[in-house]
Amino acid sequence: MDNQAQALETEVKETENLRILIADDNDSDRLILQTIVRKEGHTVYTARDGQEAIDIFKEQSPDIVLLDALMPNVDGFEAARTIKELAGDNLVPIIFLTSLRDATSLADCLAAGGLDFLSKPYNRIILQAKIKAFASMRRLHETVQAQRDEISLHHDRLVHEQEVAKQVFDNIAHPGCIDAPNIKYLLSPMAVFNGDLVLASRKPSGGMFVFLGDFTGHGLPAAIGAMPVSEIFYGMAQKGFSLQDILREINKKLKRILPVGVFCCASMVDLSFRKHSAEVWVGGIPDVLVYRKKTHELENLKSRHLPLGVVDSDRFNTDTTIIQLEKGDRIMLWSDGIIEACNAEEEMFGEERVMEVLLSTSDPDAMFDALVTAVERHTGRDEQDDDYTMVEVTMVGEEEMGNSYGADGKSYLAGGPKDWSMTYELRPLTLKEFNPLPLITHLLMEVPGLRPHSGKIYTILSELYSNALEHGVLDLHSELKASADGFARYYAERTQKLNALEQGCVRFHIDHHPVEDGGVLTIVVEDTGPGFDFKSKEESPHKTDGYSGRGIPLINTMCRSVRYLGKGNQVEVIFDWHVDV
Amino acid sequence: MNNPADHLDIGALQDLKEIMENEFETLVNTFILDSRNKVEELDLVVQQRDCDALRKVAHSLKGSSSNVCAFRLSELARQLEMMGKEETLDGADKVLTSLRQEFQTVSEILANNL
Repeated sequence: MDNQAQALETEVKETENLRILIADDNDSDRLILQTIVRKEGHTVYTARDGQEAIDIFKEQSPDIVLLDALMPNVDGFEAARTIKELAGDNLVPIIFLTSLRDATSLADCLAAGGLDFLSKPYNRIILQAKIKAFASMRRLHETVQAQRDEISLHHDRLVHEQEVAKQVFDNIAHPGCIDAPNIKYLLSPMAVFNGDLVLASRKPSGGMFVFLGDFTGHGLPAAIGAMPVSEIFYGMAQKGFSLQDILREINKKLKRILPVGVFCCASMVDLSFRKHSAEVWVGGIPDVLVYRKKTHELENLKSRHLPLGVVDSDRFNTDTTIIQLEKGDRIMLWSDGIIEACNAEEEMFGEERVMEVLLSTSDPDAMFDALVTAVERHTGRDEQDDDYTMVEVTMVGEEEMGNSYGADGKSYLAGGPKDWSMTYELRPLTLKEFNPLPLITHLLMEVPGLRPHSGKIYTILSELYSNALEHGVLDLHSELKASADGFARYYAERTQKLNALEQGCVRFHIDHHPVEDGGVLTIVVEDTGPGFDFKSKEESPHKTDGYSGRGIPLINTMCRSVRYLGKGNQVEVIFDWHVDV
Repeated sequence: MNNPADHLDIGALQDLKEIMENEFETLVNTFILDSRNKVEELDLVVQQRDCDALRKVAHSLKGSSSNVCAFRLSELARQLEMMGKEETLDGADKVLTSLRQEFQTVSEILANNL
């Protein structure tokens, strides 16, 4: 394209076709104006007076209005006012056509909503320039309007998304049994968007976990980590995992999913109402306070760990402080919000004031509220716009806790399979391909309250199973493993024999029977191997010495009894367990 | 015959003619017809001493005559408009006579220009 053609095209683009309303009662003036405007490439609507102009405007909603000031019936001023009203939010430039010269008349034109004047005699060049200027003003206005609408749409969507997110967070990061009679807490409804999180769950054993977390940052990024923490906390707490297990799992998950610099300062308490003790872990959060009712004293449990989500699993430390509590003793957890709450002079509330308020309150039941009031008085705000989070847990008797297991919580006695038996026979094709231990462990962990014993049970099962498979079905001799060389040979032989296996099987007979506060688990593992002379070994003074290589001494320390039956190809283990409290 | 340049801006008129093209004749006819009515109206309102009506009609004629480049006619209309506005009709008859004469001249020149 040569320059001339390009210039021509640009010019064509610049000459936008507009729809222009011309209202003038003077026929010859109107004719001239109409001709000039039409020649500019615009579409023209004409009106003879103000009323006609209004009517045409309603029908055609033109882009620009050229309005004679003095017209019969409805004059230009009134027409301008009506047109402005009809246009609403839209910008419709009104240019007054007038040969009025005095300041008052011109001011009247502007007051009525006119943006400019065009005086008679009409000048084609000036008219053209004005139309162009107002067309671009109108476009600008439309752009601003479109952007405003878009912003407001985005805003609405954002608010909606936050509401949805909040609902999801509330469902997942619900505070569990936070309404239990021994808990007081302060948590703003929007706390999750401040990165604060409070979780509480009864344990299957009857105890209680309380978790307070404070994520770095604010808004959605701070809130997002609350979901996995809450899922892990409630999922594992209900299954009977320990405080250490839960913290380790949360740390691992957060370390993996959170970006560097985002982590969760937290404290967690495992409360036993039966033993009247608490196990406390504090990581990167203000001191947990322990209030002793008898002496009216406070003890500080300082943070001894990094926050969750900072270090890798192998460096993560789950050491806890174990404290004895008497009835009425209290443990207080908080985020740094209270301590950092500032007054108008930017002075923080501080840890000292916290201690002061608590110790100067003689009634322990009033301490929590006294502290809240003192912070509010300090900041001059009410709790609506706060971002501080605080929990107070009181040691009470087990009977006082009653059925406060929270919305989804369950007593360790409720639900789950407790009284059952099963037989599980594994034949050659299965023995070659499949490790049955995770499946069996999983089944056993469905027994309410048994979870804390999973480690021992797994050890028992794996020892018995490998004995049955290797010494029974595969008829391998453990003596081989005595030397380093033999160890390798043992496993080579194991692989070879297993691959060649065509007959034989291992049978599990598992029986669980509930008793008060626990149960009796009987595991019999039987194999189709040759067995061995266990009777002579049982007679030896050190009962289990002779089973070396079969892991039996270890198992013996874990359960009520280990017995060999039949020709030595059956072994029965009886495991008594009690709820861990 | 009077010199057209004493009554009309000939250059501007030429431009107007070019812009209007075929519509120029319509414009001239419209102007003459419309203005004749206005001149008659002016006669009437001056007789009736209706200052407000005088101001409005004169204002309108001032504008339309300026648009057809009739500067002298426009000026006479302006004088009448001011009289109406200031409500001093002394000499209005005299101006009106001049205006009627000027309109006649302008009409003839415009008609000849077609």
